[in-house]
Amino acid sequence: MDFLLDLAIVMVSCLALGLASKYLRQASIPAYIIAGILLGKSGLDLISSDASYEFISWLGKIGVILLMFYIGLEFNYKGIKEPRRLFAGCTDFAVNFSVGLLLGLVIGLSLLEAFILASAVYISSSAIVISSLIENKRLIYPEAETVVWLMVFEDIILAILLVVLTSVMAGSLAMIPVSLVATLLLIVFILALIRRLSNFISPLFERDDEIPILLIFALIFGFSALAYLMGILLHCHISEVIVAFFLGSALSGVKSFRKLFGTIISFKNLFLTIFFFSFGMMFQLQFATLNSVDFVLALLALIFLSIVGKFISGAIIGKRLHGSLETGLRVGAYTTPRGEFSVVLIMIVMEIGVLELLPSIELLLSLVVAYVIILSITGSFFAKHGDKIGKAMMNVVNKLMPQAHR
Amino acid sequence: MRISELPEIGTKYEIESPKGDTVAVIFLTTGEIELYVLESDADKPSVTRLTSEEARRLGSVLTGALLSIEHEDVEVSFSEISDLRLHIHVCPITKNVVGKSIEDLAIRKKTGVTVVAISRKGQSIISPPPETVFEEGDLIVAIGERAQINACQQVILGSG
Repeated sequence: MDFLLDLAIVMVSCLALGLASKYLRQASIPAYIIAGILLGKSGLDLISSDASYEFISWLGKIGVILLMFYIGLEFNYKGIKEPRRLFAGCTDFAVNFSVGLLLGLVIGLSLLEAFILASAVYISSSAIVISSLIENKRLIYPEAETVVWLMVFEDIILAILLVVLTSVMAGSLAMIPVSLVATLLLIVFILALIRRLSNFISPLFERDDEIPILLIFALIFGFSALAYLMGILLHCHISEVIVAFFLGSALSGVKSFRKLFGTIISFKNLFLTIFFFSFGMMFQLQFATLNSVDFVLALLALIFLSIVGKFISGAIIGKRLHGSLETGLRVGAYTTPRGEFSVVLIMIVMEIGVLELLPSIELLLSLVVAYVIILSITGSFFAKHGDKIGKAMMNVVNKLMPQAHR
Repeated sequence: MRISELPEIGTKYEIESPKGDTVAVIFLTTGEIELYVLESDADKPSVTRLTSEEARRLGSVLTGALLSIEHEDVEVSFSEISDLRLHIHVCPITKNVVGKSIEDLAIRKKTGVTVVAISRKGQSIISPPPETVFEEGDLIVAIGERAQINACQQVILGSG
């Protein structure tokens, strides 16, 4: 009975705050996180037992796996190889990852923690960015294409970062190559197997009964379990999230798979919402750290510099790809929102992280939670008013450097 | 025409007019279609979202299939009888046939087309008898296959 009550709490609170965010034309991701914070351990503490906490976290975990599976499905290897898109992606990574890394080191995090912070700070929210492009009617402009491909590039980097991070946290230094090799072998195995079996499973996906969805979940959980077992066997960690990503990209090559996209998106949206809630719910706000001046200063610096970072990378990309600084500033504004990926990243690190390696993990976690909530909201605002922000910034640039005007 | 792929969004078809206006059609992955029009000097585009059915209708208007109300043509096909494609065609009476009857013109014998209705001064005559005489300003509703309709327009009406 308790599970039922707790699930009701999760669903009703997410529905209420989600609806509120839609009416206010805000991103819904922070709404679900806030719902979790309000009702979870650091808030009203309404979830009845530790078993319930665990149960909700598990449902949320399915959301993360489905998110990565979906990203893999949509992932386009061929398109991203175009030099212009690679240039844009690399610029975005170089500028924004460095910002996070440097600031992390300045505020006294370890190198590994600074690396985690940089990953969370670098990666924009595809969900917010893309829905904002559609809702704010930007698709006709050439920079929309650039922005969308930037998101694709960030997906690859995310996959790489996850492989690196999970391997590094495998424990001892000697285990890192073992974990890396095992992960790569498993990926190659999945890609080859799905390609081999393609003709056999393709007709199964065409059926109108429950078999297609059962098959998908059997594949997802089957390979996730395989990754888990391999991890135990080798005493290292192989990320099931990465496995889901590559399984998705392998399945996107199977002919009849397209028509199942709608079903997968529905499942993904449901469980991902529970994930955002569970993230907020588990979050024990260290009010002491929050009150400390240092924490607030670090947070403000992080927010300010990461916004500036996206504008700088946007400006470089705009100048190079579109020959226009203003277009570039718009690219910067559109890519400001951070969201689901930053949260997923920090959650995965939390789960497998060896605590000796992460001495300031609580500070890091508090920073990222506050950061994501603030930047998903302000980022949506930036994305919505990207054209005005671009124009206003151009006026400033022109005043400061009249000769640069073209 | 420029075609570009937007991952997670859909496919974009873009065309620029000589005046510098841009029109873009975006097939969203959801199956809906967005139509963008951006005038060269405008700040913001106008956008509408269409279902695939609406888009098809708009498309047939743009390709000229529905040129005017007086030349309206509806094609009817049946899922059970795949080789049967009937056209119901509305065409105005020409000078050649004013004062003649359906029987005089031998419309069915010569072309295979059946005149199912006549619209006269806002009134409809359904299933007109063969001796019905055409008057100026009549619209006739004819049914037949595409080739038969074309023959009727050329041979009998001397138009089209």
